[in-house]
Amino acid sequence: MNPLLDGTRIEALTGVFKLVVPEIALVGVACVLFVLGLFTSSRFLHTSLAVLGLAGAFAVALVAQPWETTLYDGLKANTEAYYPILPSAAATLIRYLTLAAGLVLMLLSTKEATREIAADYLACLLIAVAGTSLVARANDLVTLYLALEMISVPTYVLLYLPHRGKPGQEAAVKYFVLSILSSAVTLFGFSYLFGLTGSTNLSAINAVLTAANKEAISPLAVLAMVLVVAGLGFRITAVPFHYYAPDVYQGGPTAVVAQLSVLPKVAGFLALARLLGIVSGPLNDLPFPTSTQVPLLLWVLAAATMTLGNVMALMQDNLKRILAYSGVAHAGYMLLGLVTASAYATPTEGLLPRYVSGFDGLIFYLVGYALMTLGTFAILAYLNSADQPTESVDDLAGLHQTNPFAAAMLFVALLSLIGIPLTAGFTGKLFLFLGLYDSPTVTGMGNAYKTLTVIAAINAAIGAVYYLRLLGVIYLRSPLRPAVRHRGKGPMLAAVLCTVGTLVVGIYPSIVWDLVKKATPATAHSPALVAK
Amino acid sequence: MAVASPVLTPAGLEPAFDLSAYYPALIYIGVIVGLAMAMLAATHVGYFLPFLKPQRPTKVKQMPYESGMDPIGSARMQFDIKFYLIAILFLVFDVELLFLYPWAVIAYAPGGDPHWKNIFGTIVFIEILVFLATLAIAYLYAWRKGVFQWR
Repeated sequence: MNPLLDGTRIEALTGVFKLVVPEIALVGVACVLFVLGLFTSSRFLHTSLAVLGLAGAFAVALVAQPWETTLYDGLKANTEAYYPILPSAAATLIRYLTLAAGLVLMLLSTKEATREIAADYLACLLIAVAGTSLVARANDLVTLYLALEMISVPTYVLLYLPHRGKPGQEAAVKYFVLSILSSAVTLFGFSYLFGLTGSTNLSAINAVLTAANKEAISPLAVLAMVLVVAGLGFRITAVPFHYYAPDVYQGGPTAVVAQLSVLPKVAGFLALARLLGIVSGPLNDLPFPTSTQVPLLLWVLAAATMTLGNVMALMQDNLKRILAYSGVAHAGYMLLGLVTASAYATPTEGLLPRYVSGFDGLIFYLVGYALMTLGTFAILAYLNSADQPTESVDDLAGLHQTNPFAAAMLFVALLSLIGIPLTAGFTGKLFLFLGLYDSPTVTGMGNAYKTLTVIAAINAAIGAVYYLRLLGVIYLRSPLRPAVRHRGKGPMLAAVLCTVGTLVVGIYPSIVWDLVKKATPATAHSPALVAK
Repeated sequence: MAVASPVLTPAGLEPAFDLSAYYPALIYIGVIVGLAMAMLAATHVGYFLPFLKPQRPTKVKQMPYESGMDPIGSARMQFDIKFYLIAILFLVFDVELLFLYPWAVIAYAPGGDPHWKNIFGTIVFIEILVFLATLAIAYLYAWRKGVFQWR
């Protein structure tokens, strides 16, 4: 039958723009900002336009949500393959979270985005936010790649925009070259996926590979998976691919580094989860061999990432380098979510109902991670000034005397990064560790999941050392420099928002957890996984 | 291998992946390797066959690239930043043409599926207009930033 006479299919292709109206609006506003910046350098005008863009996107997303949900719920496994963009429940949640993160990042940048560069800066930020949201709903290799590049390309510009001499240039060039390399590796993996299945649609790829995987392990599929994990590992700073992070974080402008530590990581994890078949579709059948191959690869990656990140962070004296390695370590914790999800995918008898399926723990941790990391960077941006740069650990000495309020907020953020109860970091770690510990032991992996939980717990303890060292410097030492009046309402407001968020998510995790649970049904479009 | 059956995609039924369908690539590789080997063989055999390769060396002829720059010296030459701007601008308009030619040739070519034109004709036209508008913004940006002034 002629596919052009199939109404569902035509509707899927012609109606695709309706599914990304907020993202289109963000990019449109960014274009207007680029042009507007050429004619006027009124910072008020640029900022209010950017905020309006974000608010507009939010409003449109709210309006579109019921319609999108109805559409998604009506889809079946075979009609899903018609859609290049899939408004899954997880994608809807991520869209709201990304827009909120965009607002915080905009506040954070008010100090560094000076009048001359404000328009370009905000425009690049909006495009990166749109890209992150698009990654979550991309259902086609081409769309996914486009969305990933929509985050990378503005970041190159952002890293270079606030001119900061040699370290800034080094950071920009280093990120540019290595990001292109990682994109090439990702594309190489994509080409294998396309070659194996003959389709660029992710739902189709997943379905075909899952069916093939049931019969025999395909070495080419495993190769494709390894390449994709390697390419996206760069974005999530998984260990063999993390080496750019400390240098780029150290040299880059604080607000841009804050963005770099959140948006690419969210996008990388979502893309990885989608490609591994974890986001939608039956969770007990993944497109890649899950008895040992996938969990083992992720297992090694997670263990190496968190251990190396934490150990290296112990040896740093530069604040941003510490945060870079801390980001590496937290990426290791988040990889536990993917390990859990792929562990549960192993077809085994007698699986019990589980509370954490892996992907939900990952999204929850991403929320907590974004809150506490952005909070820390916001304080650093607030304290940093031309005559009193806040670069090394010693620059924080005696902060509780010179600026008690900022010290208190840093206190909350650092406690959350350690994982002390009543903070978002604790609940996030709890869900991730719990899910991993409950993973089935009857598969080829044996007790490896329990071992990994122990490794993760030891890592959390190592991590506490360098965060507590920072707290000791802030609260126990006397100031080395005279107190100054810090300026920067934007970073301060961002820090307050993040601190409140960290505490709220820590004390009432159910607010976010229920949303996440609703967005990540254990099985979509398939009968319940749980047996017996 | 993973797939041995055709796959249903948005664009229609894709035939199953078949490596033998890619035989032109193999011929291409054969031609390239054959050409390189023949050239090498001809130059070396030429020493013994003066009618094939007469020996009349001059200084210019013995340079690595007869009509190019002498590649001997420091590799860390400094290029004027202007050239990079020109290169990026070239890219803007080159990509535009690269995309527009195939589009213009294929989009409304006679002989296509009549249903396609009914369903996608307008959308594709609007899409290309959006693409051109984006390029116009890039052009405007470069112009106002003073890229076209040769300094």
